[in-house]
Amino acid sequence: MWEKVEPMDDFEQELAQALVRRPAPPSLKRKIMARRSEHGPRRPAMPWQRLAAGVVLAAMLGGGVLWRQLVEERRKGEAAREQVLTALRITGHALNDVNSRLASRRSEQR
Amino acid sequence: MAHDWQADFEQLVDAHQSMVFSLALRMTGDRGLAEEIAQDVFMELDRHLGRIESPEHACHWLRRVTMSRSADALRRRKVRGMDLWVGIDENHGAHASMEERSSPLGTRLESMLATLPEAQRAALVLRYQEDLTPEEIAATLDAPLATVKSQLQRGLKLLRAKATSGLREFVRDKKYVGEG
Repeated sequence: MWEKVEPMDDFEQELAQALVRRPAPPSLKRKIMARRSEHGPRRPAMPWQRLAAGVVLAAMLGGGVLWRQLVEERRKGEAAREQVLTALRITGHALNDVNSRLASRRSEQR
Repeated sequence: MAHDWQADFEQLVDAHQSMVFSLALRMTGDRGLAEEIAQDVFMELDRHLGRIESPEHACHWLRRVTMSRSADALRRRKVRGMDLWVGIDENHGAHASMEERSSPLGTRLESMLATLPEAQRAALVLRYQEDLTPEEIAATLDAPLATVKSQLQRGLKLLRAKATSGLREFVRDKKYVGEG
């Protein structure tokens, strides 16, 4: 029934005749072209434009990744510096402790 | 070669404005709205011109977008509580232009088509105005093939039933007019 090779019955033929395309209003094309010129002709992007857009996007993404890495390295450096300072403070305390014990022993021996 | 083809907007408008306008008109029943839809569809085509690969692609794309825009317009009107299909002859002088081109019987059939549910009307318009196969209709409406076949069969059955009773009256009226 639906294959194009099969003929339509009388009713379907009458329906197809009733549904012929109507001509568009004469003003339609003029209105479309006017609306188009209002917005300016939009042309598809040229290959070099697409390439340039791709390069800019890639540069932005790359820059973002690099900046993130830099921030992360700086944060790790700060943490390492804090750890070294803490270790030095602990060592200083320990040395002071040993020093005071030695001083007290010497005074006892005298 | 499809790749050698360059879309020319103005040529596409010339070639397809009648198709786009007719589809929108038969789906909405309003000449003014159909004209607005046609304008919007071509503006959208302009924005997508770079992606159109061939004349066939352009035609398929235009059908798809027109049907989708028409369905949106019908939905918006339903939300506002308006019934567009009050009668095609009440809108913007559609009756006059219809009679110029169609037989009185055809005009009656077209009016009856307008009373069908939207999905059935869409399938029948694409089938009998655009001469598409059910597969092509399914691709255009983005609907399953089985659904489209069912809509076509149910729509045609309903239209035949309406025509059987409606056209009997029509023939009787014509006879009276002829005798008078």
